[in-house]
Amino acid sequence: MSGTLPPVSPVASGLSAGSWGADEAVTNLYAAHYRSLVRLAALLLRDTGAAEEVVQDSFVAMHGAWRRLSDPDRALAYLRQSVVNRSRSALRHRTVVARHPPTPAPDAASAEQGAMVALEHAAVLAALRLLPLRQREVLVLRYYADLSEADIADTVGISRGAVKSHASRGMAALRTTLESTP
Amino acid sequence: MTSHPPHDDDSLDPRDPTDPLAARLRAALTSEADMVNPSDDGLQKVRSGVDSTRRPWWQHPGALAVAAAAVLGLLVGGGFSLLGGDDDGNVVAGQPSPSASESSDPPSNSATPSESPSPVPIEGDVYVYYVMDDSDSGPRLYREKRPNIGMDPVQAALAVMFNEPAVDPDYSSPWNGTRLLTYSVSGDTATVDLAAPAGLASEVTRLGVQQIVYTVTANDTSVQRVRLLIDGDPRGGDPLERAPMVDVQGQIWLLGPTQDVTVPSPVEITGVGTAFEGTISWEVRREGSDTVVAEGFTQGGANGEFGEFSDTVELEPGTYEIRAFESSAEDGRPLHVDTKTFTVE
Repeated sequence: MSGTLPPVSPVASGLSAGSWGADEAVTNLYAAHYRSLVRLAALLLRDTGAAEEVVQDSFVAMHGAWRRLSDPDRALAYLRQSVVNRSRSALRHRTVVARHPPTPAPDAASAEQGAMVALEHAAVLAALRLLPLRQREVLVLRYYADLSEADIADTVGISRGAVKSHASRGMAALRTTLESTP
Repeated sequence: MTSHPPHDDDSLDPRDPTDPLAARLRAALTSEADMVNPSDDGLQKVRSGVDSTRRPWWQHPGALAVAAAAVLGLLVGGGFSLLGGDDDGNVVAGQPSPSASESSDPPSNSATPSESPSPVPIEGDVYVYYVMDDSDSGPRLYREKRPNIGMDPVQAALAVMFNEPAVDPDYSSPWNGTRLLTYSVSGDTATVDLAAPAGLASEVTRLGVQQIVYTVTANDTSVQRVRLLIDGDPRGGDPLERAPMVDVQGQIWLLGPTQDVTVPSPVEITGVGTAFEGTISWEVRREGSDTVVAEGFTQGGANGEFGEFSDTVELEPGTYEIRAFESSAEDGRPLHVDTKTFTVE
């Protein structure tokens, strides 16, 4: 599915990943994951420009950390953590300092979508936005990025138990919201 | 980390494709994500970000003079301008560019594996100090207990401070993006050698320096003094001791429940604080609501002496915000508020 962060192919570039330098790692991981990471950040931030910055900063940090990562899977995990952390910081900065409502990402349906489908998606996303940040992060990593419970725990920096409770709480709240709105 | 095969460990929810809500959420997220199309210059921007980190921050034109002046001013001549306008943690928090956090190749970069996602055993906790402006006394230090990532506690704590946001979104750190070059201890004096991202040195205040002093001494109680070096250069003057708590520490720390935790009811409320006649008040609201669903007060330290406080509250399942504060002796308004959001299962 288009929402999934694809697994890293260790031979994506035809080279053994173990021999990648930091620059190569950036290039290869960018090619494989930049778009899906930006989309992940955009779902958290609702702002494509800010999402791109967050992901670019994460790649720069990953470049610096490559020597101790030296493995594409670990680098992807690092990128995800960094993207989620930086998105959280960006949101915090936005609410604490600016107190301006974020620029909404386009909720408007693309032309080929039926109006009913668009309404349905908008309702689900609106309900999602009512959730506390951690619950939202967990659900986005779960249902957009398709991560396992363990990977979500690592990405968000919480225990697996907490992932589970945030997920079930989030889903319960979504259910309640969606059932109470026609 | 990602070595977990995708979903073999799935106990999150029954990944039941027939769960209609999961399917709806997946479809909505995917459709929303598909509308996001990054521009084409991303790789170029990443590369120029990488290039800018290849040059040590202090070699950027003008940085050295500003940084040296700032460090000298703060560490030697800074006096006690703790409550000055420059001490604004919020302003500082937005400044350091995360892109500079991993700068040019130092030969001794072994000190900061904090962000390494490799699975390392958790060995106890470390104490990390952050900054919050409680809007009554200006920016102050607040402490979080964070899991050690399996290394020397002081270095682990500094790595968390430099690389990770506080769990409590009200806290921040001016040191975000800093790199620890070396850490050593000789007798009762620790030496912390840092490489700070561009622009940071001119922003760091006396409180920021004390943030490091408090963090180091909290995680190694044999350390009494901290010498702070910027890129090995001892521009900071004599090693510093902790400033008096009453001058730098947040008056009321709410330590439990911790931010974002899920706990059973009754909920234990714990913290450390000082208040008029030792009276620490607390209030609980449903998250996003203004209605207080529970409140009380308990005894902490009085009048400049910091003391532990605790209380309990019974709550229905749900997500709440708790705030602990001192009620103003003049008009009862809440002072020195610390808040946490948590969930009762």
